[in-house]
Amino acid sequence: MSFTITPVPGQERYERIAREGEAAVRRWRKPPIAPYLFILPAIALLVFWIYRPLIETFQLSFYHWNLLPTAPKQPAGLSNYTALFHDRELGKAVINTILYIAAFLVCSVILPLVIALMSRRVSGRARTIYQALVFVPFLVTPVATSAVWRWLFDPYDGVIVVVLRKGFGIDIGSVFRSDHGALIAIIIIVGWQMLGFGVLVMTAGMAGISPDYAEAASVDGASNSTILRRITVPLLSPTILFLALMTILLSAQWTYPMIDVLTQGGPDNATTNIYYLLYEIAFNNFDAGMAGAAGTVFFLVFGAIAVLLVKLSDKLAFYDN
Amino acid sequence: MSFTITEPHHKPVVQAESDEIVSGIVARQEDTRNNAAAVRTQHSFGSRFSGHVVLAIVALVSIFPVYWLYATALRRPEDATRSTPFPWPISFENFTHVWHQIPIGGMLYHTFVMALCVSVCQLLVAIFAAYGFALWDFPGKSILFLLFLGAWLVPFQVTMIPNYVTIAHWQLLGTVAGVVIPNMCSAFAVMLMRQHMQAFPKELVEAAHMDGRNRWGILWKVVLPNMRPALAALGIMLFIEAWNNYLWPTLILSKKPDSLIQIGVRSFLGEAGDDWGAMMAAAGLACIPIFLIYIFLQRYIVDAFVRSGLR
Repeated sequence: MSFTITPVPGQERYERIAREGEAAVRRWRKPPIAPYLFILPAIALLVFWIYRPLIETFQLSFYHWNLLPTAPKQPAGLSNYTALFHDRELGKAVINTILYIAAFLVCSVILPLVIALMSRRVSGRARTIYQALVFVPFLVTPVATSAVWRWLFDPYDGVIVVVLRKGFGIDIGSVFRSDHGALIAIIIIVGWQMLGFGVLVMTAGMAGISPDYAEAASVDGASNSTILRRITVPLLSPTILFLALMTILLSAQWTYPMIDVLTQGGPDNATTNIYYLLYEIAFNNFDAGMAGAAGTVFFLVFGAIAVLLVKLSDKLAFYDN
Repeated sequence: MSFTITEPHHKPVVQAESDEIVSGIVARQEDTRNNAAAVRTQHSFGSRFSGHVVLAIVALVSIFPVYWLYATALRRPEDATRSTPFPWPISFENFTHVWHQIPIGGMLYHTFVMALCVSVCQLLVAIFAAYGFALWDFPGKSILFLLFLGAWLVPFQVTMIPNYVTIAHWQLLGTVAGVVIPNMCSAFAVMLMRQHMQAFPKELVEAAHMDGRNRWGILWKVVLPNMRPALAALGIMLFIEAWNNYLWPTLILSKKPDSLIQIGVRSFLGEAGDDWGAMMAAAGLACIPIFLIYIFLQRYIVDAFVRSGLR
């Protein structure tokens, strides 16, 4: 029996319609200006409010200017940069920024990993409730966060201070007045806010891992800890690296409201970080040039770190597919 | 099937499909939950119990400060410094005191309007840009998209001074418009929206095009009606972020303590001294709208924030 296809009457017409349809689709896919018009508002806003000021910040770093529209901008050469690197507060701010990032990596990566692993042992509904509760701090408005923690740490009646004093005989006194106390308090507060976000992202990442791998390994006789080390954590590496990147890039910004309300960087610059320092240079000292220099340097350093981490994640990350 | 767990309502097939895409992560979570149910027998009582203990402690630590905020606010003013676990007798005197002391109703209203303007603008701009990015190929696309990715790397503090100068030049210092205008585009919302639109079935768009709809009509009549859950989730999230935004509003409105809730409550914190009851009442009022949204729309919020983490 032969399988040759005999032309059916009318098929030509169908083919023609199909061709025209395809042509219409092709026209649709390659439009002249439509996509540009749709993207235009976003691009325009982005360029005007992010990339233009980025360039202006860079330009400002070569001038002396006190932010007053009437005052002239004096060319400054590189003196803003030398002033920045000789600034007494810069060293402290950089050290604190690194301390903050290290501490927040624990709160937003390591603890969420442990908690997400633990929550696999708990069944559905209970787990949903725990996660809903853990996420609440992330939603609290910054001023409210500062207010309630100032109250919790109040040296006379704050419940944390009272419990530590009566229950454990430890007197932490006035936390925001002592150097280490204030730094640790800020870390606790922001860490408390970030934990829920980390747990949520980590749980979602974990849910994306097919349980087949663990099952197969377990059939092959792998122990639970081996499965964790060799399968779960490597497959989670994109999520882990994402959270780490996010923490490094954003932690200086997350701490800003707490520093501003609770300590203003003090006592004696104990809690300041680079972005709070930048804010102070710009809006307390009205030194736009030096703030521009600081902004340029911080942008370049963090940009380099981000690019490095993304490269690293491409190299290290294991993907499911 | 996971779909029936997350969306138990009857829906047209198309809607159901896109809904399923949208609730993908939640659904995946449900899936593994079901898988976990099959494996759960392996978890001994002891390991489940320790899991509950650890999670309960973490949840308690997370929720306690928020509980204490409202507990203190609900005590009688003379009881404010007591540390009994439950506020009793309950009194709303702190709230009425704050209400009369500072114009907090007006602040809540202003903040609401500001957050609504910001989130609606960001959503609209993101919808258009994502539509352009997701449905067509065009020259320069990857470079333009890189601009959005790169925006994520520019810290707010770096752009803050020139933007402040611009707003001052336009004489918008001290106005809510000065807070809204620089925040009308969120690069992050564009990227999230693009993800959603890319998941939208192209066949539907092409069919609508052959039916003679133009691009504008397709966006409003075909694409968006099928993306309602995603739009709601993103919109809520942008609203919360706008509400909780701190640095920029405090810069623009620093001399107007009656304007937005962040600034009003901050200056009230400075004045109130040791009146903890009143301070907690003011702080509690500042986050009530967000908590109400969270209580009623929790599924959307968690979904949106998780997605934000899985770009």
